[in-house]
Amino acid sequence: MTVASGPAALAPVGLREGRGRVARYASRPGLVLAGAFLALVCVAAAWPGLLASQAPNAINPAYALQNPGAAHLLGTDQLGRDSFARLVYGARYSLSLGLASTALAGLAGAGWGLIAALGGKVADEVSMRLADIFMSFPSILLALLVVAVLGPGPRNVTVAIAVSLAPGFARVVRVQGLVVKNSEYVTAATALGLRRRTVIARHIAPNVLSPLAVLVTMNVGASIIAGASLSFLGLGVQPPASEWGAMLAQSRDYLQNDWALAVFPGLAITLTVISIGVLGRELQARFEGRTAS
Amino acid sequence: MSARKQAVAGGGPVRQDHAGGRARPTRPILAAAALLLAVGPVAACTGSAAATAAGKSSSPVSGGTFTYAIDSAQLTLDPGVSVSAVTGFIDRNIFDSLVVQTGPGSFGPWLANRWTVSPDGKTYTFYLRSGVKFQDGTPFTAAAVKATLDHIANPASKSAYAISLLGPYVGATVVNALTVQIHLSSAFSPFLQALSTPFLGIQSPVELAKPAADYTPVGTGPFTFVSWPQHQDVNLVRNPGYTSPPSNAAHRGIAYLSALHFDEVSEDATRYGALTSGQVQGIEDVPPIDVKTLEQTPGFYTQSDFLPGLNYMLFFNTTSGPLADVLVRQALSASVDVPALVQGLYFGQFKVAEGPLSPDTADWSDSASAALTSYDPAKAVKLLEEAGWTTIDAAGYRVKDGQQLNLVWPYPAALNRQQRDVLAQGIQAYAKKVGINIERPTVDLGTLVSDFLAGKFDIADAAFARPSPDGLRFAFDSTQTYAKGGANVVGLDSAQVDGWLNAATATSSPAVAATAYANVQKYVLANAYVLPLYTPSLISGYTSAVHGISYDAQAYPQFYDAWLSS
Amino acid sequence: MIARHPLASWLLRRLLLGIVVLWGAATLAFIALHLLPGDPARLIAGAESETSPAVIAHIRAEYGFSRPVLVQYGIFLAGLARGRLGTSYQLGQPVSAAIGGQLWSTASLALGAAVIGLVLAFALAVTTAGRPRLRAVTSTFELVCISTPSFWVGIMLLTAFSFRLHLFPVIGNSGISSLVLPWITLALPIAGVLGLVMREGMERALDQPFALTVRARGATEHRLRLRHAVRHSLLPVLTLSGWSLSQLLGGVVVVETVFARQGIGELVVNAVSGRDFPVVTGVVLLTTLVLVVINIVVDLLYRVVDPRLRAVRP
Repeated sequence: MTVASGPAALAPVGLREGRGRVARYASRPGLVLAGAFLALVCVAAAWPGLLASQAPNAINPAYALQNPGAAHLLGTDQLGRDSFARLVYGARYSLSLGLASTALAGLAGAGWGLIAALGGKVADEVSMRLADIFMSFPSILLALLVVAVLGPGPRNVTVAIAVSLAPGFARVVRVQGLVVKNSEYVTAATALGLRRRTVIARHIAPNVLSPLAVLVTMNVGASIIAGASLSFLGLGVQPPASEWGAMLAQSRDYLQNDWALAVFPGLAITLTVISIGVLGRELQARFEGRTAS
Repeated sequence: MSARKQAVAGGGPVRQDHAGGRARPTRPILAAAALLLAVGPVAACTGSAAATAAGKSSSPVSGGTFTYAIDSAQLTLDPGVSVSAVTGFIDRNIFDSLVVQTGPGSFGPWLANRWTVSPDGKTYTFYLRSGVKFQDGTPFTAAAVKATLDHIANPASKSAYAISLLGPYVGATVVNALTVQIHLSSAFSPFLQALSTPFLGIQSPVELAKPAADYTPVGTGPFTFVSWPQHQDVNLVRNPGYTSPPSNAAHRGIAYLSALHFDEVSEDATRYGALTSGQVQGIEDVPPIDVKTLEQTPGFYTQSDFLPGLNYMLFFNTTSGPLADVLVRQALSASVDVPALVQGLYFGQFKVAEGPLSPDTADWSDSASAALTSYDPAKAVKLLEEAGWTTIDAAGYRVKDGQQLNLVWPYPAALNRQQRDVLAQGIQAYAKKVGINIERPTVDLGTLVSDFLAGKFDIADAAFARPSPDGLRFAFDSTQTYAKGGANVVGLDSAQVDGWLNAATATSSPAVAATAYANVQKYVLANAYVLPLYTPSLISGYTSAVHGISYDAQAYPQFYDAWLSS
Repeated sequence: MIARHPLASWLLRRLLLGIVVLWGAATLAFIALHLLPGDPARLIAGAESETSPAVIAHIRAEYGFSRPVLVQYGIFLAGLARGRLGTSYQLGQPVSAAIGGQLWSTASLALGAAVIGLVLAFALAVTTAGRPRLRAVTSTFELVCISTPSFWVGIMLLTAFSFRLHLFPVIGNSGISSLVLPWITLALPIAGVLGLVMREGMERALDQPFALTVRARGATEHRLRLRHAVRHSLLPVLTLSGWSLSQLLGGVVVVETVFARQGIGELVVNAVSGRDFPVVTGVVLLTTLVLVVINIVVDLLYRVVDPRLRAVRP
């Protein structure tokens, strides 16, 4: 993944106006679909009542494991709870876990990377060795280690995923920071006598953080999967909360009889992550000044 | 010997009654009375057609490895320490007991040929079988019996169950190599029944003398322990030197099966799939939703039986927190539609429980269930308001003096089975409707133990299978605290209840015991110390190649007489 | 001819770096161990109802919890250097034995998946390189592969092929047939990304002047791709090998749980739920070791595959 540098990074992405824009999107159905789906997921996360008429935790044991039908769009689970409602209400857990952990990782990574880029040789070496160490094990193992220390639960899982993502972000920020630090406009600003703090705040940080923003967006999908995986293992969001990974874990006991319970949560996760991926790539392509094919 | 042993033709499982628990009645009249008493709660034995239809009498074949899938991991294989019934039934194959329970109140010789009891009920003398060896070669003598019982009674062993079975055990004396005297501080009628359980199975004194970290289970039983990889699966191999089957076994001599594997498969669907695909020959806990399907599938059969003992129920911590108030406890009881939940989740395979004891246990009191606060949400709301929980906050939960009505119910995921976590979600949902917030934090076992010891919980849940109403003492006697290896987590400390329980264990009159136990059940229900949920049924599934599985008094399968046809 | 000195000094530098990383990981694990709330002695005492203060004290002495932190750290590092990873709280056996017992199961899973992933990626790359209309297909396939949670793929495959069609066994510890579905599940994310990357490498190679020369000499497209372009596509695969291995080792955790297989993944999940820290840190350290070693091997391979890199300093 290339990182743009210098003036190109400063060039604002202009708004395209008029019919051209609509025509452009019409020829890219994938992008439109992804955007629409993601919008749907966001609505589900923010205002689930708009999409689902039933409560996600309203049990009705007499109607357990019903097939999809008029009363229940996607059928019911083993306690008679409406699967569609649970799916819709579950969006907020998966989405918030993904967003919060990536945002946290972004913040931590930005700080870490900036320290490495701007703090001098020793800080650079130490920070990067630290990053090497963190990146030397698989992210899920790192997350598991954090959960082992802190205990299960959504807050701790957020921290765990953030810990596993931050070093990667730090690396990118560092590289970009080094490039920007040595660029002409920063040299100019320093020569003009601006204080170091002002230089960092006004010139370095904005140019370093835009590629980070793209990276963060592209990693939200990975965070969502990581959060769902940890919940699937029983370490993240706890039932009765209908987080999608937790729903999949509960569906395992019914694979023989009602495997539909296992289809929809997984599909939801996959489609959400694909949509984020498509949009993220578009963002990256825009940022790098070319159109993705 | 049991008067009611049902044999099923063609190698189906042999059933024994297990509604028992009184000590040996000394007179024929009492014996008849005991039999009559046990007539009522006879277990309904159900099995699929395949079991009874195997009309051709096949003779046992020696050899073969039997793999049985269990649904939870074992914490320890030391029967004197473990509280898990599944560990008990695995250990049943490794250890023999002094006596075997052959009927509701009758016991037969096993490692002991005969025994006498002193008139005051405080001294038992056992005359032991000769020529028996432990699997490590040590000869079986009175010293081994003493070592086993002392090991259980020793606080350093941290026995979580067997110590309560021992009751008022004081010590044992080795009279000679084959005679041992056991001393109790008071008469204790469940003692023989206790001695018949695998938890008091006789262990090799040489093994017990080793440091706890090096412990492996060594007994005199038909199968020898081989390995316990990753503390999940348990591998046993036939003991070629086995000479001590119990008096009611179907054959003498060594076991037919050459090896036994207990594989842990905790996911229901996977365990069931392992049976139907032929990867294992038997499974524990056939998922209730699949029982009917399995019974109709050719090549398989099921055996199910309701477990005697304490039902699966919620225990309420009455020493602190909102549940110290009996009105709140009764309200919680009234808020949950237990029958709907149990029927819905278990498809009729588990019985809805209406009291602390399973109906298949002796001295189960039918009338006590009238004292249970059953489902009545309006009544629940009334009780809560009467208790002062009148305000409802934005989240829908009740508030009093600025405190939300929060109950903590720790969830040890490692011990989960029979969809109990899903049942809990159902209970949470019902409680929420009347404004009670039940939280289920996931905890590891170490934290669970600390929480119980510190009283940092409001609700606990458990079931204890045992063919004796003595389980009531285990759970409600004031001396049976959790710290001392008991199950009295509710914090019940009532001289009245203790009096009833002591009367029941000291007496040899079944009528006195029945009344005393009935009183305990009524009291416990009236004061809502527990919320009974269901009577578990041990539903085992087998391939048709499996024959000769018998069931002990505790309704757990036994493999000594089992054999595999090709 | 490769001069001995640059290679030797490069190797030495990398090894030292590797040791630093390992030490760092060990320290990280040790810090995590001591950050945990609660009393480790009580965790070891485990699920026993009655634990007298004397027993707790005994455990503390045995495990050395009462000594100053730096001393414990020293003992910990010394033990590590000798390959001793401590004793599991839950299993009552040395961590190295617990891990060793599960190693083969996980290794066979990971290796098989790696091979399948590579083969799949290779097939994808060879057939779609240089064909622009298929680029979108590869790109989409890769996106789907990395967006689909592997536990869902596993569950779906299990339902379809084990429970419904009875093609594969349901519990999986015996033989190849029980490895097929886990292999596929684990291989997909890797196949997607490697396929894309190999494809790009091959396309770049096909654009090079030497491709024109080979074509001019009359070689078939087939031969051009398989004989000449492949080497160029392997380079980015090597670059991503660290990532791939990371994916594999991480994916193993979830796949073993879904397919109820024994292995290190299952071991570590049980250890995390049971707060069995020695096992968790043991697995973490083992993984770090494997990744460090693989990284060094890969960098060595770089120099073999691409002669242009031999003159480059690390």
